[in-house]
Amino acid sequence: MPAAQISTLLSNRDLDRLARLRLNASRRFTNRARGESLAAKGGASTEFCDFRDYSPGDDVRFVDWNIFARINRPYLKQFHQEEEMHIALLVDASTSMTFEGKITLAQRLAAALGVIGLRGSEKVSACVLGRSSAVRLAPCSGRASVRKLLAFLEAIESGGERTIDAGIEEFLRQHRGRGVAIVLSDFLTPGDLKRAFSLLHNAGLEPWALQILAPSEIAPEVAGDFRLVDSESAATLDISAAGDLLALYHEYRTAHEAQLTTLCQQRSGRFLTMSAAESFERVCFEVLRKKGWLA
Amino acid sequence: MSFTALSSAWLFALLIPLVVFYFLKLKRPRQVIPSLVLWRQVLSDQRVNSPFQKFKRNLLLLLQILLLALLALAAMQPFLRREAKRAARLPILVDVSASMGALDKAGGRSRLDEAKQRLHGRIESLPPDQELCLVAFGKSARKLTGFTNNKTELRDAVRALETQDVPGDLEEALRLAQALARNSPFDRVLVLTDGNLPAKTNFELPFQLELQKLPPAGPNAGITAFNARRAGSGDWELFIQLAVTDPAPAATATVELQSGGQTIAQENVALTPGSTPRLAFRVSGAQDAAIHAVLRPGGFDSLASDNDAWLTLPAVRPLDVFVPESLATFRHALAALDGIRIFPSKDTPSPSAFDLAISDKTGAPPARVLCTTGFVPEDIASLVTIAKKSVAAIDWRRESPLLQHVSLDEVIFMEDPVTAEGKDDTAFAALGYEILAHGPHGPLALVRSEESGTRVHLLFHPEHSTLPFRVAFPIFTANLVERARTLAGLSESAALATGVLPPQNFTAGASVAVSGPSRFTHTERADERGAIAGIPAPRVGEYTLTVAGTARTLGASLLSATETGLAAVSEVEFGDRISVATASTATKSDRSLWWTLALAGFVVLLIEWWWFQRRAVA
Repeated sequence: MPAAQISTLLSNRDLDRLARLRLNASRRFTNRARGESLAAKGGASTEFCDFRDYSPGDDVRFVDWNIFARINRPYLKQFHQEEEMHIALLVDASTSMTFEGKITLAQRLAAALGVIGLRGSEKVSACVLGRSSAVRLAPCSGRASVRKLLAFLEAIESGGERTIDAGIEEFLRQHRGRGVAIVLSDFLTPGDLKRAFSLLHNAGLEPWALQILAPSEIAPEVAGDFRLVDSESAATLDISAAGDLLALYHEYRTAHEAQLTTLCQQRSGRFLTMSAAESFERVCFEVLRKKGWLA
Repeated sequence: MSFTALSSAWLFALLIPLVVFYFLKLKRPRQVIPSLVLWRQVLSDQRVNSPFQKFKRNLLLLLQILLLALLALAAMQPFLRREAKRAARLPILVDVSASMGALDKAGGRSRLDEAKQRLHGRIESLPPDQELCLVAFGKSARKLTGFTNNKTELRDAVRALETQDVPGDLEEALRLAQALARNSPFDRVLVLTDGNLPAKTNFELPFQLELQKLPPAGPNAGITAFNARRAGSGDWELFIQLAVTDPAPAATATVELQSGGQTIAQENVALTPGSTPRLAFRVSGAQDAAIHAVLRPGGFDSLASDNDAWLTLPAVRPLDVFVPESLATFRHALAALDGIRIFPSKDTPSPSAFDLAISDKTGAPPARVLCTTGFVPEDIASLVTIAKKSVAAIDWRRESPLLQHVSLDEVIFMEDPVTAEGKDDTAFAALGYEILAHGPHGPLALVRSEESGTRVHLLFHPEHSTLPFRVAFPIFTANLVERARTLAGLSESAALATGVLPPQNFTAGASVAVSGPSRFTHTERADERGAIAGIPAPRVGEYTLTVAGTARTLGASLLSATETGLAAVSEVEFGDRISVATASTATKSDRSLWWTLALAGFVVLLIEWWWFQRRAVA
């Protein structure tokens, strides 16, 4: 008799596979609290990091006596500091994410990354963006919080017209802790993303942006005259001879992605775009690993 | 460019509702998309907002505006003014004479076809405020249409135009145009002709004339004269005159004479350019014969109608002359002439009619030529009386065939015809008489030509004059005989020309069915005297006149040196002062543009439909 699923977002098998993965942060923003993440500065873990010259006052227990015996000069052994990393999952649940399963993939990816974080002894918090007021999951840690996290993500209600930057700003007002901010959104927002990413970076969070686009956004099938209606603001835009504008559309979409990539990379972050039609398994276990997001 | 119906410009006002309704009624399908961010960026791109892209986006509206503008312009009936001064009414005189049937090359187009093409062009570009009147002229002119701008009527009239195998007479056409101008005034007349016109006419032009000359035809040779003269041996001597254009159609040609379907003579003739070769044949006069002369040039001959000619030859017979025994001098003079039978005769019974009758009493037998002597006919009895007085002739008509080579000098007449008081020569002329010889107080001799023949009245008695003793007497008698022979067709015969056949005699009131070439049919009824005059013969060929199963065949030939020569004048002189030059190029008429615009509108409509469908399919 198969075991009962603990969540609709992730199957038990996916949970097992996620247990073998770890988030691969590049700058290693970590909290002071001891964790499993290696801090950038030297620490007291068992994992060797580097040598340095001995200075008076240093703990003589860390002097490498073998080197001292060979060259008659004291060198101090340094070890990685294993500290706790804060993983903030920022899921865009605005109306635009309700199209063609974007929010579902965002929920599942957020769940997967959150589970990886919790199983890696990191502190995980979540926040739903796009709604009129941010819905938050208070930072939690430990495997016991997996169910809590999954329940929170499952309960996300999509629909809203708030911009991402406003949501991030609101999130940061209450957030404490350094680590990674994983933003799952389509990033098709009129707000100022540069400012939002800068705020994340300044708060000690690496901005990891996962852009999820609907297939109709990647390759729109439009021709002739249309009145396009914005799903969030209900604003309209009259398009004539849309078929002739597709090339320009693709040009601007590509430029938008390039801009997001630049914004993230300038802030030690990462950017990845994907179609909502992609399978969760492929994205999570192949693409993210291949791109170095997961190790 | 000018407009005929400028008032239709109000149609441009329809552009306003068109634009308004276009934007009001533009139904765009609504499509809800996640975000407009990217599309807004696309639409704000400079490339999208370039003039061409803007034009492309509203192409449907622009096409509709263009379509409406074209239709409004077409409704305004624009035209390109190419005539310096456009006449409201323009009569067009179309030459349909024989030379208009001449072709430009073998299997090519006739001059009339060229004229028709020009007419069609003018009709198609006819502005609505101009009316045309078509007149066809050959030997006579006839109005084909009244002044109209009904293109269908004009086209039908042009289509029905056919050449007539007759010489052209421009004056006839101009006179008709002059008559038309009385009811519908105009100031200009256009003539479409091949230029085969007389260089000078006496017509005084009351309007401006434009002579439009068609391109010249090819080389031609044709028969221009065909006649016969009685030879002394009882045969007929036939003469055929040809005319050859420069250049000639061929170096040589064959002239063939046919009678009863059989070739009776044939001769080759050299066709020197610009020459008029003359051929002579001799045929037997033993019996009546209808001779058909055929000219067969060795190369391309542009005009076929002048290659055939017909001549009717009566059988050669003696002339029957009635002279009473009392006129011994005449009998004596006649006895000296050949080919004459004098009646009354002891041996031969008198026929019912004579060719020549000479009588000094009233009640002479019927004859083609009647010569009375010594008494005053009843119809002029009130105009002249005879006085017994010797007189001499004062003057006589030397040019008259009856007095040819006759001299009345020193002839003494014992009767003196005296014209009645208050009467003069015009009184005789009013009765149809022509005075042949004048006495001191009145006419000595009179002649009147009638349908039945010639009447000669000598108001003196030859026996009472010295005339029989003069050489003039046998000459006069011989002239009478020659006149009788001519009227009897025994002296000479000439081919009949097309146009109108000569008067024919049948029984009184007889209905005559005439059939001719090109399925020509006509019916005439003989008058109370049995005469029929004015039978039309518009085409070259044989005409059969049938009365009660009896047929009589007459051949009509073109026989016109002018038509055969195909010469085109460069200028025609009217009256004493006005000369009109012929123009080879067609005058450019105003060109109507409405149909061009309507066609362009239709094309725009098709493009718009295609564009609309293309977008719908896309």
